Amino acid sequence: MIFNDFGMDTASLAGSLESKLAAVRRAGFAQVMIAAGDVVGHPAGIDAGVRAVRASGLRVTGLEALRDFEGLDARLHAYKVDVAKSMLEVCSAIGGRMLIVEASTSTHAAAEPGAIVRDLRTLAILAIPLGIRIAFKGVSWSRTVKDFVAAGDLVLRADCPNLGLAIDAFDVLAADVPLTDLDAIDPEQVFLVQLSDYMWQEIRSSEEQATTATHFRVFPGEGAHSDGLADFITKLDEIGYCGDYSFDVYNDDYLQMPPETVAARAQRAAEWLGETVLRRALPIPNVERLRRATRG
Amino acid sequence: MTNPLDREAVPESQNPLGIDGIEFIEFATSKPQAMGGVLETMGFRPIARHRSREVELYRQGPMNIIVNAQPADVPRTVQPSERPIISAFAIRVRDADAAYRRALELGAWEIPVRAKAMELNIPAIHGVGESLIYFVDRYDEFSIYDIDFRAIPKVDPHPPASGGLHFFGIVQYIGADRTADWVEFYSQIFGFKPLPDKVRFGIMPKGLLLQSPCHGFYLQLIEPDDPARYAPSEEHLQRVGFGTPDVLATVAMLESRGIEFVSSERVQTNERGALTKPTLGSVMFELVHDEPAGAAARR
Repeated sequence: MIFNDFGMDTASLAGSLESKLAAVRRAGFAQVMIAAGDVVGHPAGIDAGVRAVRASGLRVTGLEALRDFEGLDARLHAYKVDVAKSMLEVCSAIGGRMLIVEASTSTHAAAEPGAIVRDLRTLAILAIPLGIRIAFKGVSWSRTVKDFVAAGDLVLRADCPNLGLAIDAFDVLAADVPLTDLDAIDPEQVFLVQLSDYMWQEIRSSEEQATTATHFRVFPGEGAHSDGLADFITKLDEIGYCGDYSFDVYNDDYLQMPPETVAARAQRAAEWLGETVLRRALPIPNVERLRRATRG
Repeated sequence: MTNPLDREAVPESQNPLGIDGIEFIEFATSKPQAMGGVLETMGFRPIARHRSREVELYRQGPMNIIVNAQPADVPRTVQPSERPIISAFAIRVRDADAAYRRALELGAWEIPVRAKAMELNIPAIHGVGESLIYFVDRYDEFSIYDIDFRAIPKVDPHPPASGGLHFFGIVQYIGADRTADWVEFYSQIFGFKPLPDKVRFGIMPKGLLLQSPCHGFYLQLIEPDDPARYAPSEEHLQRVGFGTPDVLATVAMLESRGIEFVSSERVQTNERGALTKPTLGSVMFELVHDEPAGAAARR
């Protein structure tokens, strides 16, 4: 069975890029989110990394992640534009159509929305000739863009056709964001939804949230918030979201396990989601576009 | 972007860069003589050669076409091959350097300064696919060709245009669902405006038309047809459109020189326009009814 809507993330897996891709493929997935370090850090060089992704037969969900891009002063901004251009080129080389951009957590970044909007526009325009979409994501420990509501507001103001949102379920669950907040979001504006759960019942501080987010995430269905996650996905389906779901599971334990074992857990998560939450069991080619076309 | 004053009439510059038409269009090919032959049949004359590179300048009336056979040394630019490809176009602006710096600030990709495709000291950015867009501000008394090109002896440097031909626009093939992206790109960086669907020129009505802020030329964005929609598709500059005040007379004149025009159920020469059959594997031109004076007056 192939789960067209769901993809894994190379950052969830240990091993070489090739063995990660093979594990994702063997688990039945058709797409994969690529952590930039896996390509540029390939021991045989970036060209070998690019070839490995292209030879995998997997569709690239996107490249992650450009961080601390927006709101910087002129000199830092010029530096970050170079970083962004380099990541866009890598994204294009691996056949990716989306770059994940995480809201700045830098204390050097301006919090003024006008500056953030201007920088997001520049980034989106840079991505246009390469055919890449920018998925901007709130980060709960960012000073300015903590969640998808704040990110969505900036995206709306920047008003660029290839600029949209990535929504991370972890942030929604951990910060107890009310699902009704999704009602204000235009589903066309949501380019990607990232899914993960975690084991603790509750998170007590923003430090704990940051640590949990980067080390202790688990796949959907494995954690303590299956019901919340199911409600979140059902709500996204209701508002008409029809893009990809990517498992962004960062877990130190998983990095000490064989990639096949971790991919098998991801496979169970996709089955759980597809058959119980979304009932999307039948794979249809180009399912995203077809659904978009029928919605018309 | 929503104008904060969109309920009141506040005049703003419609043409922030002072755009004033197309200075030249460049084709890249490893068979420059074959391309030159096609251009000569279309009424162009070779008038100058680049001093150090395999680059030739053709001209008729107000139009300059550059044929470039020099292997490219910049990533993401056209590598000359047997099939000629439109590799660049140059936009006339008030201040090329200012236009270029503004474009970079807005998110354009610069071309490395020392590796300019023609060694011309003119700034350029990446356009669609592997094409480039140049900014040129010296086009009145003193031209960019005076420095880098050597005139071909005993040749009229200003051959008249046959049939009143002038640049009308460029057709750009783009990927599925990419129209909005390219509209954003051209309106942000250059001030192009999308035209309503009912405004059409010529006989090839597909896609979306963008009008230059000088009203002197057009870009036509065309997405793939439905069956081809979801196949991965390349984006590129597909063909050049020439304006002519009398399409039928110009077609008759070009046919007498051996140019063939498409005549099918869907595409037929008429007084609104015509389309040449592809030659050299990829080169085609479109004729569109347009008065040269009209192009000037619209500016």
